[in-house]
Amino acid sequence: MVVLNKKAFKLPFMEREKFLLLMRLGLNYDKPSGTFCLKNFNNIEKLADTLAEILKVDEVTFTQTCAVCGKDFGCSDCKYLELCATKNLPFQCVCSECLREGKTFEDVG
Amino acid sequence: MREDLLWVEKYRPKKIADVIGNEEAKAAFIEWLKNTRRTKKALLLYGPPGVGKTTLVNAAANEFGFRVVEMNASDTRSEKAINRVAGPATAFAALDTFTTESKGNVLFMDEVDGIAGNEDRGGVSTILRIIEDSRIPVIMAANDPDLEKLRPLKKVSALVRFHQVRIPMIIALLQKVCQREHVKAEFEALERIAENSRGDVRSAINDLQSLAETTKTLTLQDTVVLSARNRDVGMDETLREYFSVKSLLGASKLLSYLSVDYDDLLMAVGDNLPLRYTDPEDLAAAYDFVSRADMFRGRIGVENWHLLRYFFNSLAQAAAVSPESYQPFTLISPPIRVITLFWTKGKRTILDAICGKIGRRCHVSRATAKTDFIPFLKILLANQKADEVVSWFEFQPEEVEFLAKMSRL
Repeated sequence: MVVLNKKAFKLPFMEREKFLLLMRLGLNYDKPSGTFCLKNFNNIEKLADTLAEILKVDEVTFTQTCAVCGKDFGCSDCKYLELCATKNLPFQCVCSECLREGKTFEDVG
Repeated sequence: MREDLLWVEKYRPKKIADVIGNEEAKAAFIEWLKNTRRTKKALLLYGPPGVGKTTLVNAAANEFGFRVVEMNASDTRSEKAINRVAGPATAFAALDTFTTESKGNVLFMDEVDGIAGNEDRGGVSTILRIIEDSRIPVIMAANDPDLEKLRPLKKVSALVRFHQVRIPMIIALLQKVCQREHVKAEFEALERIAENSRGDVRSAINDLQSLAETTKTLTLQDTVVLSARNRDVGMDETLREYFSVKSLLGASKLLSYLSVDYDDLLMAVGDNLPLRYTDPEDLAAAYDFVSRADMFRGRIGVENWHLLRYFFNSLAQAAAVSPESYQPFTLISPPIRVITLFWTKGKRTILDAICGKIGRRCHVSRATAKTDFIPFLKILLANQKADEVVSWFEFQPEEVEFLAKMSRL
């Protein structure tokens, strides 16, 4: 599994059709920095599959933002990965540190 | 705040930010709600139960000052009922928007995928008309948006998908609830509750409350009952456990974790009672409770699920008439009625075809053909005076043979 930073990530050179497909599926390309970022989440599953094909890996996921501490983290070493039915969306979860330390949400009810 | 309040209600989010998970869905929902020039007049929120669809609507209304006019699965949603509630709410901007802080009404139709059956006849087409004419936002929620009947609603609605809430998010929420309720809980116990909930926050909080009711220190051992609830128990095992309960409480617990069809269970219990109770008085008492359960099942129908506890209660009482008299016995399963229907299916099909032919020729219903015509046909066939009638109705030889057999019985 490869974890990509949803705010900015680089991809290898690809043919025009693939690039256009990625744009249609919801990526944005920043020419000066040469990085891609997510702008639309509606086709996230198809997008992840296409990226996996381009990167020649079995699976691609995006970084998650911790709902407690706000830190970005990857879910490749999450112990609940096999039980997780929603690998990409939403982009919020709780990082293992916060969970281990028993930190919880600021407000509940 | 009342202490006996359900924790799901007590900790129900009042603000959008408090609804955990589904950040993108929340953002899309708020954008649609705030947009005064919506391309689609209605919004369909869809996703598994307990992920915050209804909660989000109520929290948003609370935050933005909308008043929610709600219709859910407990209401009859026929054309008439929808028009009565939704018609006035959607046809005019609310008067109090000029005098108070309220921003008007939002029509919220929860569980639209549950619109079904005769009682809700015309419901979907009426909702379509309401959406067309509405002057206020119309929001709908559904668990399964792929149902054929919802296709017209999907066409006219913006769609927002909700996902299961992730296990770490649920654990963090449970930890917070434990802090507030002064419950000490092992991390592994909360982990087990979250895993068992399958992304359903509501069921996770309910499980936590039910487990914490008996103890203030929750251990992994206390959560064993959850896996018992979630296992998929078949009819045979259910019946075996049901008939061997030691107490009324045991029967009630067993029935609350039921994973078989209620009607099938009721029939199976009825069939097996004479084998379970050999004492006629016990048997009579048990049948009395089963008949009560049957009565409540009839009243429940497809929508009065609040009566389910009375159904369970009666059925539990039937199992606990004399727990001490239990002797293992060979179960009758599946129910006799189901077996009978299976064996008589061929016969019923032939009779149905005969009644259909009579109905077409004589312009009567199949039911009338069965009650008013078949008895006379049987007499004619018995007296061998039916040749003309048989050719006029165009009966096949096997149909004539079937009627002849019926007349001999």
